[in-house]
Parts: sequence; structure tokens; C-alpha cells
Amino acid sequence: MRRSTAAAVGTLTGAALIIGVRLSVQPPAAPVAAPPAVDLAGGTPAPKPSTSAAGNKSGKTTAPKPKTGLKDGVYKGKGATNPYGTVQVQIRVEGGEITAAEATYPTTADSATINPPAVAALKQETLGAKTAKDVAAVSGATYTSKSYAESLQAALDAAKA
Amino acid sequence: MGTTVSIELTPDRPDDELRALIADVCGWLHEVDARFSTYKADSEVCRFRRGEITHADLSPDMRHVLDACADLWRDTDGYFDAYATGPLDPSGYVKGWSVEVASARLLAKGSTSHYINAGGDIRMRGHHPDGGPWRVGIRHPWEAGKLSWVLALTDGAVATSGTYERGDHVINPRTGRPAQGLRSVTVVGPDLARADAYATAALAMGEPGTTWLAKQAANGYDSAVVTDDGRAFSSANLPAAV
Repeated sequence: MRRSTAAAVGTLTGAALIIGVRLSVQPPAAPVAAPPAVDLAGGTPAPKPSTSAAGNKSGKTTAPKPKTGLKDGVYKGKGATNPYGTVQVQIRVEGGEITAAEATYPTTADSATINPPAVAALKQETLGAKTAKDVAAVSGATYTSKSYAESLQAALDAAKA
Repeated sequence: MGTTVSIELTPDRPDDELRALIADVCGWLHEVDARFSTYKADSEVCRFRRGEITHADLSPDMRHVLDACADLWRDTDGYFDAYATGPLDPSGYVKGWSVEVASARLLAKGSTSHYINAGGDIRMRGHHPDGGPWRVGIRHPWEAGKLSWVLALTDGAVATSGTYERGDHVINPRTGRPAQGLRSVTVVGPDLARADAYATAALAMGEPGTTWLAKQAANGYDSAVVTDDGRAFSSANLPAAV
């Protein structure tokens, strides 16, 4: 059972990769104006592309014409349906380059447990260094009573006692 | 088990009743220690190790622990291994499980808001006495007095495994060598024993553990990871406090 699940996941990963390749070869013509269904990495929002292709006069775009031929904006690929549901890839183009790519996956009860492994990953962020103000407890690797004595939790306990 | 347990109860009843609840938890944890300690020669674990008792003689709790360790061994591709260092050592499961049971005992006696922190692994329910969620800091892996994340939870478990406390002494059971790559792994989820086992397993995997952890998010286990070279990662639904 576990083996067959792993095989299904492997197949799906392959499918998702194929969608990604297709997308980069043939970028979809219609830009998406609506906010992305998934949060593409990167804080600064890309210039919003116009929803109407007709209203997009040449020479009006502020960004320099990129040599890749990709226009800035957030684009969704056509949803690809496989036995587990629909996977849709979305990219962000900034300065003519793809700066982010993500895929949505079905979240219905049947498929949610199968699909996220194929497309989800932990997101990288900046390592924080916050002060212990306003916390009730501290989680950390304290293996011995000695390391407890030196821990923030011990200090919190002492403050409450 | 050589660790220290901190318990905080929301003061929802007279002082002597609160003290009785804490005494009940302490009694249970001492019972667990007597049965599962790898340091006490007369513990059930040590007698089983020496072959003085057989599987047929085991207590129901011991059977549960062995079954759970076997399940977790399978669920973690063998990286959570109660035999990683040689003889049976179920401590990596027992700590989280005993706290999980202790929290359930408190709940059964009507204590709906409390937390129990056993050596940095925390099970909490309900709300902080001031009314909000419990705010839990995750220790910074290099600066002992700082936090790398602050979480807000009302019901759930937070477990952290790291190499910063005992050097490179988390053994990768596949190689028999100390695990490298990850400095600190925190797992947040509904069950403390499972969260703790996942954190230990991911640490043993090294950097590929981040990919493995990402898959556990679909089952309700979120994670926050710091690598040996200081990169930080977290899953999308990590309950970070605002």
C-alpha cells in the first residue's frame, strides 16, 4: 500500500515537471489580473498586467522590453488534470525573467493527502532572533536537567514562581 | 528520564485542587520513569533488554510503546529508530507520549487550559490565563537567550530536536554516524509523541529531512527548520504568532 502511494507520488511529480516545461516553452497569452491563488515568493508586487490585450498599447510599458519576450506579470498555466485532480502552475515574471513559480494542487479530501508532497516544499525565510517577551513557554532541545537549568524556560518558570 | 517538566494550569479552581492535579501528573510521570528508564536497572525496559522478561510478560504500556515505535519506524523510513544506538531505547517516544497522556488526564479532570513542557517538548490545551492563545517561543539554535520563531496555539503540541545541545550526537540509523545538515527541527501537530519522533527523524535525515517534513504538512504536522549554515525554513501553515 505504502509502495503504491510512493509510486503515485512519483508519477505526479513527473506530471508537474512536464507542465512546467510546457509553460516555459509556450507562455500563456492571457495575463491574470486577479490576485494569485497561491502567494508567490517575493515581497514586492510585480506590475499588474492589463486584463485587456487591446488596451495594451506598445510603448506604454514602463519596463524595458526584455529579450526573453516575457512580459512582466503573474501568469497561470492551463490546469492539467490527472487521475488525482487538477494541477495548475503559476509563474511571476519580473524584468522579463521568471522570478517565481508555484503550483496549486487539489485540496479535496481524496486528493489532499496524495498531492501536496509532489508540489509543497518548506519556504526559506530569514532566521529570526526575537526576544522572549510575552511567551508562556519555550520549545528547544534540552536533553538534560543541566541544560534545563540554563534554558529560557527555567527563567520563565523562575519569574512565575 | 533526566529531564525537567514545567506545568502551567489556568487557575480555574481552588489552589488545593490545582496542586492535586499537578501531583497526579507528577505521579504518572514518575511511574513512566520507573517503567521506561534506561538508567534504572530494575526498569521494565532494562529487564526486557537483559532478557529477564519476554514479550508475553510485558505491561500494556510497554506493549503500546513498542508498537508505536515500530509504527514510527515505518512512517519515518527507518529514521526514527528505538534501536539506533544499539539496545532498545524507546525514550524518544516515551517522553512525548507520557506528556500526551498527562495532558489527557488533566483534561479528564476538567482542566481545559494548561501546558506541560518536558525538556522543550510542549503539549498545550485551551488558552493562556490572560485569555489569548498560548505563545510558544522556539529557541534560537545559536543564541540561547533568543527565539527564532514565536508560535500561537490553543490546542496542540510543539517538539524541537537540535544538535546544539549535545553536539553531533543524533545518530543517523542508516549510516550509524552522527547526523549532519540540520541544526534545529521543530514540529507542530496534534500529537506530541508523533511530533517529537518526526523532529528526531528529520534531524537524523539531514537536509533531505526538509523535503520529508514538507510531506507531513498534509497530515497536520507543520515544521520550522534551521540548517547548520543558518538557513531557516518553515511550512506554509506554521502557526506563527503575529
